[in-house]
Amino acid sequence: MAEAADEKIAEGKLDLVPMIDCIMLLLLFFILTTKFTSEEKSISSLLPTDKGQAPSTPQKKVEPPQTVNICIYPADMFKGSQPSGFQKQLEGMRQPGAVIPRAFLRVGNRDPIEINGKLLGSPDKSQVKVEMEKVHTYIREELEKFEVPGDRKTQNEIVVNCFSGMSWKYGLVAYDAVRSYEGQKSGLKYTGNPAELDNARAVTFAPPRIRDYDSREIGNELFEIINMK
Amino acid sequence: MSGGSNNRRAKIPHADAEIDLVPMIDCVFLILLFFMLCGHISTEARTEQITVPPTKTAAKFIDGGWKRQIINVFGNTQSGNPPRNSIKIGTKSFDAMGINDYTAYQGLRAVLDKVYDSAEKYKDPKGTPLMLPKVIIEIRADADTEYRVVQEIQQVVSDSIDPSDKMQPKKVDLATMRPFVNIDFTTRNPNDK
Repeated sequence: MAEAADEKIAEGKLDLVPMIDCIMLLLLFFILTTKFTSEEKSISSLLPTDKGQAPSTPQKKVEPPQTVNICIYPADMFKGSQPSGFQKQLEGMRQPGAVIPRAFLRVGNRDPIEINGKLLGSPDKSQVKVEMEKVHTYIREELEKFEVPGDRKTQNEIVVNCFSGMSWKYGLVAYDAVRSYEGQKSGLKYTGNPAELDNARAVTFAPPRIRDYDSREIGNELFEIINMK
Repeated sequence: MSGGSNNRRAKIPHADAEIDLVPMIDCVFLILLFFMLCGHISTEARTEQITVPPTKTAAKFIDGGWKRQIINVFGNTQSGNPPRNSIKIGTKSFDAMGINDYTAYQGLRAVLDKVYDSAEKYKDPKGTPLMLPKVIIEIRADADTEYRVVQEIQQVVSDSIDPSDKMQPKKVDLATMRPFVNIDFTTRNPNDK
């Protein structure tokens, strides 16, 4: 066999079969192992064990004044409507099964900014960065106004109140902006170790406000979040 | 020369017949590689159907010897399969039909109970008598999952509500509670790569 190969080379013919075998094998290997999505990371958080574990009940809860509320709800909804009005507005905005395309984000009783969900979820990273930077800048500037004297632990607790039907990305980007602000204020590096969160101010996602999601309840939930201080 | 060869073959059949092993080895390697990668893909906990939301302050995963349990939550999938907001934990998959259907959370809790029971535990550093599992629950939710689903999962994970009782708050019973407290939200940083 070796002689045969030598003969072929001598004749100027190269045996391509083993090379093709190898190349196919390598090709298959790389096709199956390559991932084109960017590397995933994590945001760690701790669920509390030392305060009431019970989530909110259907009755309305009065938020204590020392909480800074970050409210996220569908865009173009303003104070002044009744729950049924918000409900109608939501139905006109969203096809069943589709996502709400744009959101309003508001810190405390300040003016809201609009987040474009399409840009935030865009495959174009530069668009995502611009939209994220908008949220980070707004939250940084507004939280600066809610600063109280003392260290990070004495700062008012922050609660992210997101409308239950919004995409998860809006809640997470707001949480991320608060973390980034806290990181700048306290020098926290966010290495991924949850223990470091013990020294930061508390940031929580509000638990679901309603239990029975019939249509009237959704209007009530929107009303509550939009009118929250 | 050819005559001699024929004579020998006639006497002892197959004496100089060597089996060429090269193609067989080629094939075997190909099959080996195929099954290795297929097995890897089917047990892949991070399915590509989920696009996690972008953030800036995320860190690399660290486990520190802890167990990591991934909960995949699907948003819009191209074919509608699995349906929107369905939950996958390990090999089990749960679909919720409509927003008042809590069966998916019941299934999730059943799996979490098993994870809790088999996990190594430590005492709550905050002083409650709870025994906490050395498990990090990773909520890997699609960017377009509805917020309520992620929130309900957090409630289910902390074992503070009862999915078989319309998600009503559970009576706090420290002896039977099976809470997880370490949560990771999966995300990506658009500044990477």
